[in-house]
Amino acid sequence: MTRRIAGAVTAFLGVLAGSWLILTPFALNGQVADRDWTDETWTDVSTGAALVLVGLVGTIAFVAALYQHLVETGLVTPRPKRVPAPPAEPAAAAPPAQDAGDPELKALLGPLVSALTQDMERERHDGRQQPTPAHYRREGL
Amino acid sequence: MRGTDKLGIAALVLMLLGGAWLAAAPWIVGYQPAGEAWSAGTKNEFWLGFGLVAVSLTGLVVYAASGLRSLAAAKPDLGGDTR
Repeated sequence: MTRRIAGAVTAFLGVLAGSWLILTPFALNGQVADRDWTDETWTDVSTGAALVLVGLVGTIAFVAALYQHLVETGLVTPRPKRVPAPPAEPAAAAPPAQDAGDPELKALLGPLVSALTQDMERERHDGRQQPTPAHYRREGL
Repeated sequence: MRGTDKLGIAALVLMLLGGAWLAAAPWIVGYQPAGEAWSAGTKNEFWLGFGLVAVSLTGLVVYAASGLRSLAAAKPDLGGDTR
C-alpha cells in the first residue's frame, strides 16, 4: 500500500510542477504579451503540458491500484452495482399502482405491502376479526 | 504486478525523463548561451527539472523497495534471514 501512496503523491507532484511550468514564462516576465512565443516559452509550455498529462495518468493509475489493493484486502467494500428492481408482484387486493412516486421506494415497499395484504387475506379467510385497538387492549399488547 | 501499477510506474519513468529534459533544455534548445550568467528562466527550468528527477527517482526507489519487502514477507526464504 505504501508504494502506491508514494507513487500517487509523486505523480501528483509532477502535475503541480507541470502546472507551474506552464505559467512560468508569463509569471517570470520571460514572455512579452502580444509577441510570438519564444523558444523558451514553447519549451516550458509544451513540457509543462506533457508533465501535467503524464502526472495525471500516473496519479489515477496509482489511486486505482490502491483501491484494488484495499478491496482485495477487505478494507474497502465496493459499492454494489445498481440492478434494476424486479417488478413487484401484483397483489389481488392491493390498490392499483400509481404512476407517481419514487420507483426505488416502490421496489422497496412492494414486497412489504404484498406480504401485509396476503396476511390480511389469510386472516379474512380464517374468519378472524380484524384486530382493533380494543382488541390490542384486551390482549394486553 | 497489476496493469494500473505498470501504468503508474511508466508515468514515473516518463516524469524522470521529462525532468532530465527540462534541466538540459536551455542548452539543448539554445536559448541559454554556454558560459553566460543564467537567466531567471534557465534557473527555474534547471532546478525544476532537477527536482522532478529527484522526486520521481525517489518515488521509483520507494516503490521498488516496498515491493521487494512485501515479496520477502510473502516468501521468507527470499528474505536472507537464515536464523
